[in-house]
Amino acid sequence: MKKNDITKAPAATGDRTNQPEILPVYAVPRGVEFSSYTDRLIEGGSGRLLLRLPCLTPEIMMDIMHKVAENRKKYLAHLKTADIVDKIDAAVQKWLNPEYELRRQAETWLPAITDYDPEMIRLELKRFMRTFRKKELLRFLDEEFDQAAVLDEFRPRKSGGMSRAYGPESIFHVFSGNVPGLPVWSLVMGLLVKSGNIGKTSSAEPLMAVLFVRSLYEVDADLADTIAILPWKGGTSALEEPVIAAVDAVIAYGADSSVERIREQVPGSKRFLRYGSKVSMAMVGREALTADRFGETVHRLADDVSTYDQQGCLSPHAVVVEDGGAVSARQFAQLLAAELQRCEERRPRAAVSQEEALAIRRVRNQYELAALNGESVTVYSSKAGTEWTVIYHQEQGFAPSPLNRTIHVFGCTALEDAPSYIEPYRELLQTVGIAVGPERLQQLADLLGTAGVNRICAIGKMSRTPAGWHHDGRFNLLDLVRWTDIEWSAEQEAERYDPDAE
Amino acid sequence: MDFHGKSVLVTGASRGIGATIARSFGENGANVVVNFLQNEGLAGKVVEDIRAQGGEAIAIQADVTKPADVGRMAERIIDAYGSLDIVVNNALSHYSFNPKTRKTAWEIEWDDYRRQIEGSLGGAYHICKAAIPHMKQQNGGRIINIVTNLLDFPVVPYHDYTTAKSALLGYSRNLAAELGAFGITVNCVAPGLTYPTDSSRETQEEVREAIIRLTPMGRLTMPGDIAGGVLFFASDWASFITGQCLRIDGGLVMT
Repeated sequence: MKKNDITKAPAATGDRTNQPEILPVYAVPRGVEFSSYTDRLIEGGSGRLLLRLPCLTPEIMMDIMHKVAENRKKYLAHLKTADIVDKIDAAVQKWLNPEYELRRQAETWLPAITDYDPEMIRLELKRFMRTFRKKELLRFLDEEFDQAAVLDEFRPRKSGGMSRAYGPESIFHVFSGNVPGLPVWSLVMGLLVKSGNIGKTSSAEPLMAVLFVRSLYEVDADLADTIAILPWKGGTSALEEPVIAAVDAVIAYGADSSVERIREQVPGSKRFLRYGSKVSMAMVGREALTADRFGETVHRLADDVSTYDQQGCLSPHAVVVEDGGAVSARQFAQLLAAELQRCEERRPRAAVSQEEALAIRRVRNQYELAALNGESVTVYSSKAGTEWTVIYHQEQGFAPSPLNRTIHVFGCTALEDAPSYIEPYRELLQTVGIAVGPERLQQLADLLGTAGVNRICAIGKMSRTPAGWHHDGRFNLLDLVRWTDIEWSAEQEAERYDPDAE
Repeated sequence: MDFHGKSVLVTGASRGIGATIARSFGENGANVVVNFLQNEGLAGKVVEDIRAQGGEAIAIQADVTKPADVGRMAERIIDAYGSLDIVVNNALSHYSFNPKTRKTAWEIEWDDYRRQIEGSLGGAYHICKAAIPHMKQQNGGRIINIVTNLLDFPVVPYHDYTTAKSALLGYSRNLAAELGAFGITVNCVAPGLTYPTDSSRETQEEVREAIIRLTPMGRLTMPGDIAGGVLFFASDWASFITGQCLRIDGGLVMT
């Protein structure tokens, strides 16, 4: 979670020329009225901005939930999936235009709100939005349903009978703020299964979900009216209880503690999907360390480490580097250190909180001490502060990192031994970025899959997932829907009552 | 290096490379003239930043392609600081470095060349013409012209821009040959693709990555890197160096 200097301030008055722009960070169906607001002042390179937050009460929440449910029932529930795809695509197409007003707002203000480098946000945001184009959405649907039409009507099954899938009537999304834009993914899932959506944003990134709903509003106001995006302080049970009581499903993102806190409130009868903390790593085979390749390998891994400062669960905590290449694991660590310094110059890391900085210093001290005690460990670190840290271990192993551009480099004689070191993290394992030749990929993937890893991708692509990936090893849409089957017997029975039957 | 008592003119200094060079001179004690064409607000901010650090600076609007403007600016500089010791010709006619929308050799018009030559070469010419009498009078001076490493390695052929900069390099060497006798040095700094600046914002990520892959130091040039070379040529350490062109591009071009 990114920390930044968000201070509360009253709405600007007085000097008109110095008046900050006001941006509402909520989106609610038409007809919902708020009686009061609080403003948060954001100051950044682009000037000053007031984020406008509505003051929420349980009564207002009930009213919003009611309107979302009504609007969904009247409109979204009857839309064909193909039409929903077209409408999302139309909104996404707007975002793929660099001149689009809301994209410009996001590019201007997200860096100030999150403190991430503006250039990184600009690049990652457009790459991310591209994954929601029509062809990607269709791929995503096809990946999970044999035929997406089961979301619209009963469709024949190969084994006889017919089936139809129903999404939840309403979903409560609890968004995290670590990676800008992620809430869009969750909202798209909710729309595809025709659910009314209510999203609670994080104070670390309250903007993108709202801007996306505004784009949907431009495309189809009735569709946007089935969504409510609101900011409030996590744990405010007076607001959360009525919402949880009213919805059929809850999707929670974020740190384990906050996800767990939400889970405790959700009755067992309701569907609950969690996307909590995960651990990812990278593996580099000797074939990616030949004299013509090692430079690029290091460059791409540094990209994985620096993108959003490892705040996404897809970023590597450690990299295992195999012996036998043109550079040793130690040299790899040195090259990675130099590359992370260049990353810092190009795209500086976001400001970190005191606790985060302390966590990095603690890890540095721990291994510097170990080195003094004769262990074969070397710490390479940024001179100025905690900007980046590379901890080289000659011995094989695995260790989690305090993140914010901190990574362990472990040497190893054969990558095939690595999975045994990550076994203890089985429950948390997610992505492995891998650079090996084709003849080893399958076998290594099998070892990693057995150890609990659920995503294997190229180095340099760790933070970018394709449409239709199994998020945390599970289905996305399929985990949300319930099925109604018309069994073969009912179909046959019905035939008997056809007055025109032979 | 201490530039106290020296006055330095940086053209096109309201933003990008020029602004960074101006700030660096300010940090090192010079009296800085921040020349700008349109961006009065940004130029004012550069002046403000230099003053906030305890330096001295003024912003002067002048179109360097207009001799009358340049003459007026030179008078104001002498009025304000009493001398003109260092000149950095950084201004150029507006140019957007976009590999996708650039004009090909068979599309580009002579007018495109003329615009760039007027900005890069013409601008430097007018500035030098106005500055040289003062430098002669002072028995010395430093002229530093910003060119580009594209003239060694046109990784993207920006015909008009790079041709104009090549002319500026030729002009600089001739000037060096003639002005050495007066104690005036003339040198060039040739940056690689510099990021981030307003002009280079349009250069797509793919091109930037391709250049990075070819660059020994593994990243693009940044405005601060260029300021280092410029301040070196302006310093006493470079008093016997003239007619040279220093590539500042992380080793992309080696000559």
